Amino acid sequence: MGRYLIRRLLLAAPVVVGILLITFLIKAAVPTDAVTAMYQGQMSEKDAAQAIAALRAKFHLDLPWYQQLMIYGRDLLHGDLGESIRLRRPVVDEIGFRYVNTLILTGVALAIALVVGVTTGVIAAAKRNTWLDVTATTVALFGISMPAFFFGLLLILVVSVWLRLLPVVPHGPIAILLPALSLGLIEAAPISRVTRTSMIDVLRRDYIRAARARGAGELSLILRHGLPNALLVVLTVVGLQIGNLLGGAFIIETIFSWHGIGELAVNSIKWRDFTLTQAIILVSALSYLFINLAVDVLYAWLDPRVEIQA
Amino acid sequence: MLTRRRLLISSLAAAGAAAGPLPIAARAAAPGSANIRIEIDPEGLYNVQSISLIVSNVLGGYLLERLVYLDEKGEPKPWLADSWQTSDDGKVITFKLKPGKTFHDATPFNAEAVKLLFDTILDPNSASPSKGIIGPLEKVDAVDDMTVRFTFSKPFAPFLGLLGQSFFGFNSPTAVKAAGSAYARHPVGTGPFMFKSWTPGTEIVLVRNPNFKQFRPDAANQGLPHLESVTLRVMTEEGVVASALQTGELDIAPLTADAMKPFDGDAEYVIITDKHAKNLMFMEFDYKKAPFSDRKFREAISYAIDRAGVLQAAFGGDGAIALGPLSRGIPGYDDAIAKDDGTPYDPAKAKEILDSLGWVSKDGGTRSKDGVPAHFTVRSYADGTTERALAVIQANLAAVGIQVDIGTADWGSFYPALLKPDWDMDLNRWTWSDPSVMSQLFRSPGHRQLLPPNAAIDSALDAADGELDFKKRMQDVSDAQKAILEDRLILPILTDWPITVTRKVVEGYRLDYLGYTYAGDLKIAAD
Repeated sequence: MGRYLIRRLLLAAPVVVGILLITFLIKAAVPTDAVTAMYQGQMSEKDAAQAIAALRAKFHLDLPWYQQLMIYGRDLLHGDLGESIRLRRPVVDEIGFRYVNTLILTGVALAIALVVGVTTGVIAAAKRNTWLDVTATTVALFGISMPAFFFGLLLILVVSVWLRLLPVVPHGPIAILLPALSLGLIEAAPISRVTRTSMIDVLRRDYIRAARARGAGELSLILRHGLPNALLVVLTVVGLQIGNLLGGAFIIETIFSWHGIGELAVNSIKWRDFTLTQAIILVSALSYLFINLAVDVLYAWLDPRVEIQA
Repeated sequence: MLTRRRLLISSLAAAGAAAGPLPIAARAAAPGSANIRIEIDPEGLYNVQSISLIVSNVLGGYLLERLVYLDEKGEPKPWLADSWQTSDDGKVITFKLKPGKTFHDATPFNAEAVKLLFDTILDPNSASPSKGIIGPLEKVDAVDDMTVRFTFSKPFAPFLGLLGQSFFGFNSPTAVKAAGSAYARHPVGTGPFMFKSWTPGTEIVLVRNPNFKQFRPDAANQGLPHLESVTLRVMTEEGVVASALQTGELDIAPLTADAMKPFDGDAEYVIITDKHAKNLMFMEFDYKKAPFSDRKFREAISYAIDRAGVLQAAFGGDGAIALGPLSRGIPGYDDAIAKDDGTPYDPAKAKEILDSLGWVSKDGGTRSKDGVPAHFTVRSYADGTTERALAVIQANLAAVGIQVDIGTADWGSFYPALLKPDWDMDLNRWTWSDPSVMSQLFRSPGHRQLLPPNAAIDSALDAADGELDFKKRMQDVSDAQKAILEDRLILPILTDWPITVTRKVVEGYRLDYLGYTYAGDLKIAAD
């Protein structure tokens, strides 16, 4: 297990280098940088030439892309993510707390997605072909089809404007409710569908029949014997869902003014603030690598049949 | 173009409107405070480092004050300055300051504060975007505590008007020096409100300046600000902003014409349009390339554009069509020149000119001349408004036998790409408060390096930029408008009016000539 983890972590290194390389190549292909984007359309470029040149030199934007990549790599190895060109402050200061905010949002959303998705999936499977099943499946179909930003706005309209249950932009701990619900309920839909299918499959197995023959109650049959086995498939889906959640957070954060990394990513690209974009890409990539690894390890731990080979 | 996103959002807005007038919930805040929407989080609240629109609005409206303000006609009037004198050669301007002003940190406002601001801007190490705006300024001297002298390399007429902009609002020297690079997160000015806190991406809280003295005679409230506090809420998504106005969580919100619709005609809200808006949407050309090098051809295209149609499509009619080369909101705009020398929508005339130039069509389709079809490209920046405007322009040009392909990219890609000569026409939009915007754009070689020298235009622009007497300068500005328009360098289209929706409990919301809020006048009536 230990050797497996080390091997996976070593394999992550070329992935990170590859991501850095690709983003630098994209940057080289983009015709502007943060400094020109900041100054253009605001003043005569001729008069500003001196200021523009000074700022570009400060951020090494006057060098060819591979030299910039080398400088960036060197700083990175020293633990320095650089300074945002537009915000004129260290990238770490700007990203740190936002990343935590995004993790909190996706974490709560994932919890909502799991609770709602698994519960409805199990009910639908247990009460197969009844009105409960049909309702759950139909609602899930809507959930899968609906874009998160629309669902978010709909939630605001119903919960805040019509019912007046929550403020549009809540403060304090309840602030997370609306964005987490918008993200979580949408992601609950595929989890519900997969749980249902997997559960139906498991409930047909011999060991369930055997347990029933031994006189196990229907509830224990589903929760003790069926669910743990059905959840293995769900786990794989959840691993993929986390990626969706992080992606969906980009939009939901903007709608709900949730101060996360997604909102910053969108702005940093708009501003051409490459140090910022680069750091966000790096942090997101590392998150994905870590989540994938975590799901694989968890899988082996939950299912003894899966063996990890170093 | 109706995207899926827009369709969904407008159907939601319609649902909201269909629900009818809604009961207003109890206000979250006390009547002594107002919640105002800002579209994005400012990058930093230090005017030396940033002059973006959002930074200017926050600093200029609430926190910082300037030497002058612009009156109803756009003429500079004393604010923190008591008076000023210009030397005979126009190269030296000396300001006397009004005594008795203090910064929010209780330090006095004086000549040193003025000098520090301009010295910092002029210092190349600051890389300040304001430096280019005051190009010919050489040095600033504090003659005594209440006297400041500005020295220029040549007479620079835009300076006085530009002094009214928030880029030249004053920061406390003590606070700037003490905070260093952190100053942009803790601005200290002399304005009616003081900075209290900033939750990045969420809100900026400002509180009443208890020692405020109003030095600006055109403000309705000459005493302390009415409100105890102002919260500027960062809200990007317009659908959410509309909801927050309905629940009373926002009192004042700038909105686009699309998002404003549900509030139109609702007695609970007031819709305010800024008719002093200083933007201009216009088309320009690659003047080095045939047929756009020909004044007559440019004229034909100018007659072909249905500006009222563009205004309706792009901004729902909120604005004014433009026939002159200067935005109506800029001092010196001359309506007579626009009327006499402009090119109002007249497709018949456009066709007639094209025929006379030899651009003909046998079957009523695309014209051609010497075997070359009239098939060109129009570039612009990607935005809902420009895309809808371009759709109308494309149809207008097709109607006179000119076919155009549209290409849009975001501003950061579009604007620098204009320096490469692979385009024919572009649709552009500039906002500036001073008539010198004409020299930025159209003094040869022009802002995209494509204009051949034109003695008549260049000398008219130079005269307007060098005349320090306001009245005489306005005459020069008229001459420059005439010269540019006669040469058909620009195809003016429209000025759009920014829209603000306020709840009816808001009193005293108005904007000055430069578009800044009279923050001390703001008041919230009891619900």
